[in-house]
Amino acid sequence: MMKWVLFVPELFYTLMALVFFGASLSKKVDPRRLYVWALALAGMGLLVSVLFARQEGMLFFDAYRVDLFSQVFKVLLALGTFWVIFSCSELKGINERQHAEFYFLMAVCTLAMMMLVSAVELLTIYVAIELSSYSLYLLVSMRQRADEYVETGIKYFMIGVTASAFMIFGISLLFGMVKSTYVIDVVRVLPTVIAQPAAVVGLVLALSGFFFKQALFPFHIWAPDVYQGAANQVTTYIGTASKMAAAAMVIRFVGFSGGESGVLIKLLVALSILSMTFGNLVAIIQKDLKRLLAYSSIAHAGYMMIGILSMSQRGFASAIYYALAYLVMTYACFMVIMRIAEDGRNLQIKELAGLHKRSPLLAMTLMLGLFGLAGIPPTVGFTGKFLVFAAALEKGYLALVIIGMINATISLYYYLIVIKAAYLLEPVHPYPAVYVDSWTRYLSIILVLAMVYLGVFPDQFVALTEAAARSLP
Amino acid sequence: MEMAHFPILSAILMSTILGLVTILFIPDDRPKLVKQVSLGFAGVGLILALWAYFSYDVQKGGLQFVERYLWVKSLGIYWFNALDGINAPMLLLTSVVLFTGVLTMWELELRVKEFFAFMFLLVAGVYGVFIAMDLFWIFVWYDVSLFPMYPLIAIWGGTRKEYGGMKLTLYLLAGSALILPAILYLWVQGGSTTFDLFELAKMGFSPQVQRTAFLMLYLGFGILAGVWPLHTWSPVGHVAAPTAVSMIHAGVLMKLGAYGILRLGMTLCPEGLQYWSQLMALLATIGIVYGAFVGLAQTDLKYVIGYSSVSHMGIVGLGLSTMTVNGINGAVFQMFAHGVMTALLFSAVGYIYDRTHTKMIPELGGLSKTMPVASAFFIIAAFAGIGVPFMASFWAELLVFISAVKTYPVRGILAVMGLVVSALFMLRVVQKTFYGEKNERWEHIPDVPLYLATPRIILVGVILFFGMFPKVMLDVIQSTVIPFVASLTA
Repeated sequence: MMKWVLFVPELFYTLMALVFFGASLSKKVDPRRLYVWALALAGMGLLVSVLFARQEGMLFFDAYRVDLFSQVFKVLLALGTFWVIFSCSELKGINERQHAEFYFLMAVCTLAMMMLVSAVELLTIYVAIELSSYSLYLLVSMRQRADEYVETGIKYFMIGVTASAFMIFGISLLFGMVKSTYVIDVVRVLPTVIAQPAAVVGLVLALSGFFFKQALFPFHIWAPDVYQGAANQVTTYIGTASKMAAAAMVIRFVGFSGGESGVLIKLLVALSILSMTFGNLVAIIQKDLKRLLAYSSIAHAGYMMIGILSMSQRGFASAIYYALAYLVMTYACFMVIMRIAEDGRNLQIKELAGLHKRSPLLAMTLMLGLFGLAGIPPTVGFTGKFLVFAAALEKGYLALVIIGMINATISLYYYLIVIKAAYLLEPVHPYPAVYVDSWTRYLSIILVLAMVYLGVFPDQFVALTEAAARSLP
Repeated sequence: MEMAHFPILSAILMSTILGLVTILFIPDDRPKLVKQVSLGFAGVGLILALWAYFSYDVQKGGLQFVERYLWVKSLGIYWFNALDGINAPMLLLTSVVLFTGVLTMWELELRVKEFFAFMFLLVAGVYGVFIAMDLFWIFVWYDVSLFPMYPLIAIWGGTRKEYGGMKLTLYLLAGSALILPAILYLWVQGGSTTFDLFELAKMGFSPQVQRTAFLMLYLGFGILAGVWPLHTWSPVGHVAAPTAVSMIHAGVLMKLGAYGILRLGMTLCPEGLQYWSQLMALLATIGIVYGAFVGLAQTDLKYVIGYSSVSHMGIVGLGLSTMTVNGINGAVFQMFAHGVMTALLFSAVGYIYDRTHTKMIPELGGLSKTMPVASAFFIIAAFAGIGVPFMASFWAELLVFISAVKTYPVRGILAVMGLVVSALFMLRVVQKTFYGEKNERWEHIPDVPLYLATPRIILVGVILFFGMFPKVMLDVIQSTVIPFVASLTA
């Protein structure tokens, strides 16, 4: 069957999961060896995703759509997973005996997210989202000294299952209206019934599952605790790869409605404004760096929504570009956190003091990452915001764009506080020098160059995201 | 618009970016080398800017040294740089201030490499704004020039540096929160096909669009230009900043604001300008008078200069708001003259502060006896600020006031009176600081050594040169302003 070619990346991650499942059964496994294996497999996974990026077709009775949009996101997911595994060489936050399970769950979760971005049938989507969620519930609870962080795992789980209950209810409403679970039918029928409240309610409830993953206000309450409570590597994974999958789904799903419903758009505008404003204002008072990034991620879900709610091809393309930018910038910040907190502890902002002396390269990576998140040119974060706002203004949302820009200014305040800690504060008691191995150094340089390059030379990437947006159903 | 010539404008920009990259690769323990490299790249920029300025063909006018390539196809972003009579003086100003600023910081010892790296990044942004003729790039470079201010002030600054740095950065970026929507708004109104400034200017937006966009651009850029009442970041920021940063900031960066209003607001929205010009003139006049009176009450030398900048930038705003050839000529000339003059003031105060560790006027006194050369620099700059004949700003202020009194009689006369007050306060500062009773504490302090006098001598030279030969500058400015004003009234 030639068709299986379309499914190769997913098959690869299934294989990867099986390898680590086998490893988890064995009693004695050297964590170093596991790391090398995981890194090699994740690297191959990235390669496979890139090689199969140009595939197109339908699978499984048309429930599974492989197109440029899904493949671009699969590459981003594979890239995020590779980066996270790359920084697992000091996996101190997780018990050594559980390392095999950790990699197993990472592989399963990546597999689930890859399925998520390709799924075009409501139940397939639901199964994929649950598979990835359950892997994450376990990953979050895996942190050492679980008793301290047990609240985190439970909270995440409770809120997660509530969101998925909403979602399945929304899906059932949609099914009731449309009499089909195929997205293609939903797209066809929904515009004719979108004026009815049940359809809007169904769509919004179904979306809430994705909003939960994306940590959009008011589905964000898990984010700060989970970011803080999960092991640094897991937080990085949630903050980067998992966000990608959620963004992809929201883009695909909102795109379904065809922009006919004024109610839906008003709702999305409100959610976007609340998300940006709430995230940015609360982030100002944070002391823990991961918590700060959690709130900033809530705000960024809002910015991305501005592009999505523009309901135009340029809007969707800008949201894809924003997702790409967000992946690179957030990973850069988290990489610095993981490097500095080598023993897997949570990092306070004041612990960054004197970083410019302890490791100038990491300080610069962090600064560029944060300036990128604040939307300062010439970084990729600026270009992302620029594209998103341009798309929104094409639809005439001038006030929304001004609110977005004001929010960007507010966010700059707390990013500057972090930068001030890294560049200005002198440590109260001397912190140990940060050990930066040569691989991390190369990766830092690559990230810095990528952030600037994508910011200054966006042409071909914009073209790529526009092509991906065109391939949406 | 073909590229038959050497891309001199991009080369000026690259002189700072290459300088920045080179500085990053110098080892931390070679601060001397960092300074020499910085001076070298600043010198290259200066030579190129001089070359560009003096090879600008006044007879031909219009855009020269044009570089134009498609950058992002789907949005219509161009790498579009060009020189005309308005940005040529600005480029010259920037390169002079950068070069003298590097020399002024020759004694810096704290984190030298980072300082010059940030400074070059800042100036790269400034050069970028001045050369770019594409709205996207103007905005990009504008933001690039703002954010290095934060580390520069917060790390190397003085009085209340963290507060001053944060306030300044947030204020200025709040300004860009209005500019970016305005740019995108105009882009959408122009069919979302091009960010090319002149193509957009040809579109002829509806009056309603122009009014909205002009107001946003005016307020956004006005924050940076120190327009009253949006100026409050400026004195605080100037006082907190280290000498060279104050020089660049007051000398060049504030000009970006006025330049933005002129280049974006007035070019794209002439009808918006007509509509809001009364407000512009009013705020500018208040700024002139307010800056002068508040300056009168200051005891900190840097605050004095900070408020005098608010006052002098008001003159620029007043000139722009007249929409006449003389007014805009004077405004552009004033941007240049004020830039050089403020740079000299800050650098003179910088030297005094470095040696005495105070910039409080009551604690100083009689300095002209202990350090006559250092005092002379300040006094010359103060005279330039007052508008004494044969100083560059004399011509600028004259032109602005002639046309302001004609266009807005009451406000014009008030502004002239403001100028008298500002002359009073400058003279008072000069009298108290440099004459009067000698303070014994400063007796042993040596006068300016030659290597530190060089940058100040260059600045004095520039002030006097353009004071005695204003035609060298006015011809260049006029070549663009005359057709520009004609298009405004057409």
